[in-house]
Amino acid sequence: MIEAHNIRKEFKTPVVKEGRFSGLRTLFTREYRTKEAVRGISFQVEQGEFVGYIGPNGAGKSTTIKMLTGILHPTSGRVSIGGMNPHKERRSVVNNLGVVFGQRSQLWWDLPVKDSYDILAKMYSVDQADKEWRLGQFAELLDLQAFWETPVRKLSLGQRMRADLAAAMLHDPGVLFLDEPTIGLDVNAKRNIRHFLKLINEQFGKTILLTTHDMDDIEQLCNRVMVINNGELSYDGTVRSLRDTIGLPTLITVTFRGPFAIPEQFQGAGEGSRAVPLRVTSAVDNAVTIEVNRREMNTLDIFKELGRWGELDDIDMEDPDFEDVIHKVY
Amino acid sequence: MTTRSWLSLYALLIRTSIKSRMQYKFNFILASFLAALIQISEFLMVAIVLYKFGAIQGWSMHEIAYLFAIMTLSKTLYRTFGDEVHHLEKYLVNGELDQLLTRPMPVLLALMPQKFRIMLGEVLQGGFLLWWSLHGMMAAGQVGWSAVPQSLYIIVTGAVILFSIGLATATFGFWTTRITELQNLTEDAARTAAQYPLTLYPKWMSSILLIIVPVGLVNYIPSLYILRGELGVWVLPALAGAALLCLGISLKFWQFGLTKYQSTGS
Repeated sequence: MIEAHNIRKEFKTPVVKEGRFSGLRTLFTREYRTKEAVRGISFQVEQGEFVGYIGPNGAGKSTTIKMLTGILHPTSGRVSIGGMNPHKERRSVVNNLGVVFGQRSQLWWDLPVKDSYDILAKMYSVDQADKEWRLGQFAELLDLQAFWETPVRKLSLGQRMRADLAAAMLHDPGVLFLDEPTIGLDVNAKRNIRHFLKLINEQFGKTILLTTHDMDDIEQLCNRVMVINNGELSYDGTVRSLRDTIGLPTLITVTFRGPFAIPEQFQGAGEGSRAVPLRVTSAVDNAVTIEVNRREMNTLDIFKELGRWGELDDIDMEDPDFEDVIHKVY
Repeated sequence: MTTRSWLSLYALLIRTSIKSRMQYKFNFILASFLAALIQISEFLMVAIVLYKFGAIQGWSMHEIAYLFAIMTLSKTLYRTFGDEVHHLEKYLVNGELDQLLTRPMPVLLALMPQKFRIMLGEVLQGGFLLWWSLHGMMAAGQVGWSAVPQSLYIIVTGAVILFSIGLATATFGFWTTRITELQNLTEDAARTAAQYPLTLYPKWMSSILLIIVPVGLVNYIPSLYILRGELGVWVLPALAGAALLCLGISLKFWQFGLTKYQSTGS
């Protein structure tokens, strides 16, 4: 459905001159600063997939999305959406594309929300019956009624994002590109939007590619995640195996009821301690904190081992936060 | 999509832009009022020039007023529909062009109706000057009634030429982002220069104004035929040809420029 073959994007900016006629002199300058924003990325997204595209600020996420949607032309490489080139056949491609840029609205700023839908319906040749049927659905799912008549500029961020999502879906596109659709939203609004996205992916089989900085979006929605860093893909696979690959340790805090003894090979970060999957990081009074990689040792074995050290009173396990996992990938 | 549905979409977008602007009634009224004021002061300038110098190098007061009028009306027609082309810089600087590129229509067709300018002041000023100059020349027997449809015709070809110049200039923005200075040169300065007969200028400069930035084709060349019977009637179809050629070249350049669009970071 979405294919990218070794796409690269270089930005060349002329060094801006100062002083009189600066614009004209800049025009004829030969000095350029070149920045390689995307350096040879390839991937394929199949119909119905929900892909998370993540990476730190400035890693090239938006640039990639803009190349996929036909806004930017890649310096080299090839993009294909549903078998068509979004640069050569931009108009046909965008007809089957829904795009939401979280930072920017595609609605008509000064007009009531519903006016934007009328214009978009006409632009995408959506007939009246289809338009009304779809809007009826979206209105229910996204709770649009409350601000139907409100000018877009007066909407709250959450309302605006919902209105934008409906706008992107109005022509029933097969593919959705969402650039940070949950940015700046409160918990409720995020939940609402995630629910909607999950539904249109699962029920209507829409292919979705989403960028975000909110790892909950990824965990709750995406079956696949791609990580971009410095313009290159550093990971492409399931969320689960991403966790595993990184192998961040699970933190376990054990409290012993009576006296206990920690076998020597588990103590401290001394030599050889890497060899054992279990490592004591601190021991204060009766509470011992242990780091363990759960891929190397399963829970039951951990408990058995700890039981040998003394009588257990309480155990608290803390899985690594997904944010930390991602931090590690970046 | 058929031509008809394109046109109705275009009309809808223009209505939308007017409706959007009407949301700020005070600003709209004040802006219209100020624009009218500026037009009056510009008109006074023209009047002073005409009164003070009268005839310039064999061009009568009426003829110069005619040059002014055609240029003003052509520019007005261009800017009424193509004002956003002139203001492309805004879209380049903040990356607003992104949105237009995701619409299933030609970018220009999405860009132009973003803002439809109602330029009543310019229409009145240009219209009055045109009426006054033609009226004067008809009274003197210099031109006949056929000058009226001919004038309307060259206003349209002139608008196409000015639009082409504006579009080509704006396209440079895909490389430089900022284009104001270049616009001052190719649009404002060139147009102001062509408000006077080109014989006023040295040869190299009038050549530039006829070939490189062909503002001379808007009013000077057609005036030679319409007002003074020089050249020949072939000038009129040739102007349409030249206008279409300019438009074609600008559109090609624009298409190429779009592939160099850099957007902005987000």
